[in-house]
Amino acid sequence: MDTPDILVRAVGTALPGPAIDNATLTQRFGMPVAWEQWIDTFVGTRTRHFAVDLDTGEVRHSLTGLGETASRRALDRAGLAPADIDLMVLATSSPDMLMPATVNLIADRLGINGIATYQLQSGCAGAVQALDITSHLLRSGRHRNALVIGGDTCAKHFDVTVDAASLPPAEQVNGMLFGDGVGAAVLGVGPAPDTAVLRHAFVQFVGLGRAPGQIIEWSGRADRHNDRPPVVEDYKAIEESVPVLAAEALRQVLDDLDWKDTELDYLLPPQLSGRMTARIVEALDVPQAHEISCVTEIGNTGNALPFFQLERALPRMGTGDRAVGVAIESSKWIKAGFALEMV
Amino acid sequence: MNTIDDFITLLRDEMGMPVSAGDAALSLDQVAGWDSVHVLSLLSVLERRTGRSLPLADVLEAGSLEDIYRLAVAA
Repeated sequence: MDTPDILVRAVGTALPGPAIDNATLTQRFGMPVAWEQWIDTFVGTRTRHFAVDLDTGEVRHSLTGLGETASRRALDRAGLAPADIDLMVLATSSPDMLMPATVNLIADRLGINGIATYQLQSGCAGAVQALDITSHLLRSGRHRNALVIGGDTCAKHFDVTVDAASLPPAEQVNGMLFGDGVGAAVLGVGPAPDTAVLRHAFVQFVGLGRAPGQIIEWSGRADRHNDRPPVVEDYKAIEESVPVLAAEALRQVLDDLDWKDTELDYLLPPQLSGRMTARIVEALDVPQAHEISCVTEIGNTGNALPFFQLERALPRMGTGDRAVGVAIESSKWIKAGFALEMV
Repeated sequence: MNTIDDFITLLRDEMGMPVSAGDAALSLDQVAGWDSVHVLSLLSVLERRTGRSLPLADVLEAGSLEDIYRLAVAA
């Protein structure tokens, strides 16, 4: 059976508000200068964007709105109209509401009706999960043009009135690491020249018996006043495990495609923070591949990150160029990887 | 905070660190659980207590808890 190429026709992204640098964050929350120095030294992320106005706490952007913006940009670049889309998949850990699912609100904003829509509840592996599932749905022949979206906003977790100095240090670190953003890709069915082909995508849960490395709680009316911290990150487990899992995921993609290390032109590594990503890239040991990273500029935007990386990678890829992206989700430990080839 | 013992008490009470006076002279890599997040926490605690902001670079050069104490109380 002849399976068609799955094409990544175009990518678009959206970031809310201005870039917030470490000095601004430090001053806004009344922290000592050494706090800013600590971010520069141990995190290495320089700026990030927030859907929340830092001064007033007003929520200025929603996942829906950012998703619409990113989607329109991707569609414009693909030379398509919303009416050409017959499948939408959104991956997020932070939907605007549980119901209606944000993917349907974005469809509404785009003026799209009568199509299949799916939404994934996901962390850092979400973008790859969405690409993977979409590629299978396209190959089934039931659809031709898909909008795949990934993004997160921490608006529901970000209390700008909090006394940051009184927060446990681990929660302070969360505030330094994360940022808001959404990315979207238009996927289609080939063949088509001068277009990136999605050669492979895989997702693998490896969290059996492992304590979660990341927990995000949600609450309803009955348990809204609980004492549980809304976001918990086990930084030690993340530092120990993510580089190992990233190396395994890269190896798996290369082996599945029978690509040699030396044939890799672009590497899209896990985007945790400037420092962690640098450490991971070193451990991955593919020095001839150009690294495509964005986390030092936009922070950890979870489900959006691979789209921001793709947006940077695609214009640089020439005919025959090969790229591999790796995403590791530390919530319950999920390995994910994907590969592109420009034909 | 007047003495090294006050400093040790501060670490125990405000940061929950299981340290005693005997740990003050130990090299930091021998202090149980000491990591970069502890440095972050310590900077905030010391700034609140002493009213002065310690430069991170100086704290990172400290070899022991006693070294950090001396930085914090330096005139």
